[in-house]
Amino acid sequence: MAWYNWFGIFSLAICLAVCLYHVIRLIKLGMPVEYSGRSGSPVSGIVYSFTSAMNPSVKESASLNLPVYIAGIVYHLGTFIAGILFMTVIAGLSPSGYHLLFFAFFLFISALSGTGILIKRLTDKKLLYISLPDDYISNVLVTFFQASGGVFLLLPGSEPVFMISAGLMMLYLPVGKLRHAIYFFAARFHLGFFYGWRNVWPLHKQKVDERSK
Amino acid sequence: MKEANEKIRKGLEVLGSGEDSKLLSHLNACVRCGLCAKSCIYYLSMKDEKLIPASKVDIVASVYRRYFTFTGRQLPGLVKARDLDDKTVTEMVDLLFGSCTVCGRCVKHCSIGVDIEYVVRKGREMLSVMGYVPSTLQSTVRSALDTGNNMAISHGDFVDTLEWMEEELQDEVDDPEARIPMDEKGKKVMYTLNPREPKFFPISISAMAKVFYAAGESWTLSTRMYDVTNYAYFSCHPDEAAVISRRMYDEVNTLEAGMLVLAECGHGVRSNRWESPNYIKKQFGFEVLSSVELMAKYIREGRIRTDRGALKEKVTLHDPCNLVRGGGIFKDQRYILKQCAEDFVEMTPYGTDNFCCGGGGGQLAMSEYNERRMRIAEIKAEQIRKSGAKVVAAPCHNCIDQLSQINFTYKLNVKVKTLAEIVADSLII
Repeated sequence: MAWYNWFGIFSLAICLAVCLYHVIRLIKLGMPVEYSGRSGSPVSGIVYSFTSAMNPSVKESASLNLPVYIAGIVYHLGTFIAGILFMTVIAGLSPSGYHLLFFAFFLFISALSGTGILIKRLTDKKLLYISLPDDYISNVLVTFFQASGGVFLLLPGSEPVFMISAGLMMLYLPVGKLRHAIYFFAARFHLGFFYGWRNVWPLHKQKVDERSK
Repeated sequence: MKEANEKIRKGLEVLGSGEDSKLLSHLNACVRCGLCAKSCIYYLSMKDEKLIPASKVDIVASVYRRYFTFTGRQLPGLVKARDLDDKTVTEMVDLLFGSCTVCGRCVKHCSIGVDIEYVVRKGREMLSVMGYVPSTLQSTVRSALDTGNNMAISHGDFVDTLEWMEEELQDEVDDPEARIPMDEKGKKVMYTLNPREPKFFPISISAMAKVFYAAGESWTLSTRMYDVTNYAYFSCHPDEAAVISRRMYDEVNTLEAGMLVLAECGHGVRSNRWESPNYIKKQFGFEVLSSVELMAKYIREGRIRTDRGALKEKVTLHDPCNLVRGGGIFKDQRYILKQCAEDFVEMTPYGTDNFCCGGGGGQLAMSEYNERRMRIAEIKAEQIRKSGAKVVAAPCHNCIDQLSQINFTYKLNVKVKTLAEIVADSLII
């Protein structure tokens, strides 16, 4: 195995170990003890939190910013695809077939989405105000990871570049904002529990209409 | 120096207490996408970047990063980790107390699911234990702690007002036996009031008394602990909030009431129904209900009858944030209005998407932010104007105060009423 593959494996191991630490810490801290009388269903709230609550029709942040929302979804899908590609290489498998062209194309599109998001962060006054160096580094690392994945699918000789970019991103993931890969799930879980307990969620259209009667 | 360090220690203890995973989750989840901006009345009104909800989260998270994360300790510049110094504290006070009504609208619309309101409240808690609550808000809390109600109404004055309102009630229902019971033990309902009622709007006491009278309810008011509000919920001092919460809990038990019924007060309902048990770490052994839920129950069960055409003018409803987004009470206020009004129209948006009136989060108590409060109120004024309504119903005395000021400032020429007043005027006795 080449040195860059070892670098990728080493980075993955570090990343997984630190992420595991974060997950174990969350589990050990547990849920807040709730003494108030429950009026809704926390389970339904949690399910809603991860499903319908993300729908642009009930979420202004998505519906009022649809292009950014779609770019964000594409960007995240690109990260998953590049991640699967990385695991394939680590497992010693050689990606092949015509469908690779599709994945390469998708990775370029997702990298483009990431670039667009970066440009927006650099040019939008309010985003500039709230951004930290961490935000730019995270974006550049992930975007480069996706783009190099796309290039690797077309030019297998670029494997070292892809593996190094993957390794750098994974080493950075647990220390910067990329760790929202873990905390996103924890935050939505807590939010679903909170709103579900109080019968605020689920709140879908039908229920709203029915409740208005 | 020693005192300053002690303050910092206390503030950091809030972030590092490690009670559960909730705070840790929300502090680490924000990706600073900025999409929450358009959900915030402060940002929408003033278009100032520092008012974006993400910015409010970040000032708390930046302190957390500085003291509790590897990156923040080793490379603070990378993640803009901040020391908890005077500059940070000053900014925190302005952002978390002066530029947020903790309405929670941004929470529902956060792309990630960060409970921004919860983080802001934790930031306020830090400031509170450090002694940096704006003095106007703290004096309101102090009044409640020292006198038993936030307006420091004396026991004598309160009893006089109730006796006066009892006479009004007797005249209105033409029954000399109609009563406003005080400190009576063993009643089914112990009812509470917002101190604004005896102080400024005593008519709303007799309105609810009329509803109880019509329903034939077994009820009482306590003259010792009747204040539904808990301003320590706004200042976020857990010990002070617990003292006020425990007083209410103890009084229900002293009077051996079966149920605590909370007056029309958004934060009063939220703090007593949802937060108080957590403040005192005790499950209540009695039912806690808002008066909105109770009135809807009376109508549904036929215990009171209302004239559906009693209110002929077009009426709209303001949804108090703490009642709807923070408490899940959505249906009952609409049901009540439809039983009393000919023409009910929703604001746009409404329900869990409704905009705060601008008076929440303790803003009405913090006069230093009055100008901002009335500026952000423009959004609510426009909502009301566009509804075309002549009457605005609001099941919250705090909101009523703010809406009345909005009515005057923005020349809306509407009437602002509580639901109890509307129901009382519609009763068929």
